[in-house]
Amino acid sequence: MAYQRRSFLKLMGVGGAFTLLPVGLARAATTPNPEDRAVYISASAGDDGDYYVSAFNASGKILFEQPLPGRGHDIGLRPDHVDVAAVERRPGLYGLILDRHTGDVRAKLHCPEDRRFYGHAIYSNDGRYLYITENDFDHARGVVSVWDAEDGYRRVAEFDSFGTGPHELHLMPDGEHLVIANGGLHTHPDRDGRTPLNISSMQPNLSIIDRRTGKLVHQAALKHDWHKLSIRHLDVSANGTIAAGFQYQGDLTNQVPLVGIWQPGSDIRPIEAPDTVQYRMRQYCGSVRFDASGQVFGISCPRGGLVTFWDAQTNDFLTHIAAPDGCGLAATDRAGEFVGTSGLGNGWRMDAIRRKRVELPDDSLKSQHWDNHLRRIIA
Amino acid sequence: MFCKPSWRTLLLSTTTVLAVGVISPGARADIPDENYQPVLAHLLGTVMPPKLDDFHAATENLTSEFKDFCSDPDKSGLEGTQAAFHAAMDIWQEIQPWRMGPLVANGRDQHIEYWPDKHGTAARQFRKLMFDKPAAYTDPEKLSGASAALQGFPALEEVLFADDHGDQMIAANEDGVFLCQYGTAIATNLGTLSGELQAEWPEFATAMENAGPDSMDYPTAKFAATDLYRALHEGLLIISSQKLARPLGDGEEDASAGRAESPISERSLRNIEHNLIGLFAIYDGTWGDVDEEGKGLAALIDNSLLDRSFKLNWQTVGDTVAELPPSVAEVLEQPDGYAALTDLKGQIDFLTTLVENDVGGNTQLGGGFNALDGD
Repeated sequence: MAYQRRSFLKLMGVGGAFTLLPVGLARAATTPNPEDRAVYISASAGDDGDYYVSAFNASGKILFEQPLPGRGHDIGLRPDHVDVAAVERRPGLYGLILDRHTGDVRAKLHCPEDRRFYGHAIYSNDGRYLYITENDFDHARGVVSVWDAEDGYRRVAEFDSFGTGPHELHLMPDGEHLVIANGGLHTHPDRDGRTPLNISSMQPNLSIIDRRTGKLVHQAALKHDWHKLSIRHLDVSANGTIAAGFQYQGDLTNQVPLVGIWQPGSDIRPIEAPDTVQYRMRQYCGSVRFDASGQVFGISCPRGGLVTFWDAQTNDFLTHIAAPDGCGLAATDRAGEFVGTSGLGNGWRMDAIRRKRVELPDDSLKSQHWDNHLRRIIA
Repeated sequence: MFCKPSWRTLLLSTTTVLAVGVISPGARADIPDENYQPVLAHLLGTVMPPKLDDFHAATENLTSEFKDFCSDPDKSGLEGTQAAFHAAMDIWQEIQPWRMGPLVANGRDQHIEYWPDKHGTAARQFRKLMFDKPAAYTDPEKLSGASAALQGFPALEEVLFADDHGDQMIAANEDGVFLCQYGTAIATNLGTLSGELQAEWPEFATAMENAGPDSMDYPTAKFAATDLYRALHEGLLIISSQKLARPLGDGEEDASAGRAESPISERSLRNIEHNLIGLFAIYDGTWGDVDEEGKGLAALIDNSLLDRSFKLNWQTVGDTVAELPPSVAEVLEQPDGYAALTDLKGQIDFLTTLVENDVGGNTQLGGGFNALDGD
């Protein structure tokens, strides 16, 4: 591990020595910059089955809590606009468009009767279209719905996701393609909408479609022996590298990779942490996020209470930081630095390069159970 | 003979009665973090090290027995070596569920025992090995770099118990000589692995015992203790989902003792019996000579009635396993054998729910908003 971290520092051009770090990187190890005006936004829950979209500042002070009709999941951010999209987690029926500054509801989305939202949404770069992953449950088929933000969020199209159980999706750097994590799990609302019905035959994949036509451009799957690795979450770096986190549906003792790197056009490259960390990942990854530099990505493992960090250039494991019940993960504007949140109410600033974790100072954050995903907004 | 229809009634009745007096975890105040520290210190610092010493001694003894047997092979020597195998395996099966730190480092648990072997890798590689008889596999150091399937207990089981391997070793024919040398190398390698485990444990235990906000591995004692709770919980899940569900198959006609653990040495259920001893130590803090009752996770449960009930339930399951023959094959040959194994699985599953609800709830180690219900 030490070797890998030294290699990474070398890669970063900092000679492997802390004191030689450039100013920008050295500052990353300090406590939150009081000038940091970033706002973090996430689905959350109270103690009594009450659910919210909540925002907090860089110190962890809660700025607003907007009640939701049911448990949320991820938040889609409309570029250069106040809108954010909160879509109910699977099997979801509602989507709310909120004002990112106040939490006020600006529009409501209703899922068609024969579809269910799957918790993730992403906007096009021009902010006009919102794309949401959905389950066409009667046909065990994933779809991506398209909503026109400039036409009152009217549902204007629906594309095949080219897999079952689509979950997180992202725009590719060209802004014209969507990459979709098709988790492979078929669920049906008549069977609670969450229980997997096809584990023995599940076929997860990563698919890239044209966001205007829905045409499949690239697709990759893991080898058949690993077909129970549900590919659920992903992030895309500026150079088009896709990092993905898996959730294993097989035995606890099976030795399987939980992280993959994909360069479209090639195979998914599975990567693993050292055994003692891999084991503590507990066969389950939550959020995936690249840092501001695109050279590091973090993957949270809430069942193991860890956040793992990886070198995006070499695909090596870098380090891990304990984060009890931690799952939400957002990159700050500093290389190698992330903010993480937990279901226990914690918020941390985590430095992957120096392996450091600092609790956000404001205690108001602790009034909520922070849900799976976290987004950073520049205020 | 095997069916104990009363267990369900017994387990359910004790739990139901107790439920009246158990305060729901949600209504409890948080257990102070310092309360978890003595549990960590006891389990990791007092309970486990002597067992690792025992395991290392058992593997060293196994090596010694193997060498003695092979120097002048006879039936008595074979039986002595087989007994040494069982003694080492008994201790390993108690340690095995403590899946953490040095046990899993560098794939060590798989090198000690490669199982489950879904694709029959060990048998296939063993056949090829006996055909080629490569000298490298008689060198413990080189063997340690070979396939995990060929360097631990399952491979040794093939050597000592499969087919006519014992007779061949006694006859000291070409196959027998290779088997003796290969078996000695496996035993020596197990001694090395158990020695590494013994040596690495203290540093790992200290890191967990010194949990605190500055630790990037264990920021609180409670978080460290969660790994012990998980070992208890997952240990039961593994017994049910792998050690019993695999041989049970999809139904009585699909049942196969060959899919159980250690089928050749006919000790699949003996393994479970010893698993339960090691797992109970996590709860109670009592393990063999380390007899300090109530210093495990039980120390965090402020309800003596619930504690007694849990122990009674555990004892009931332990008694059930102990009354069964050690071999799954032998059980399945009985008219009601399949039902007996199914019944045992049901008991383990019920014990698992008690761990989740009573132990996990009352120790406050079983929760997690994201950990339990993510997406």
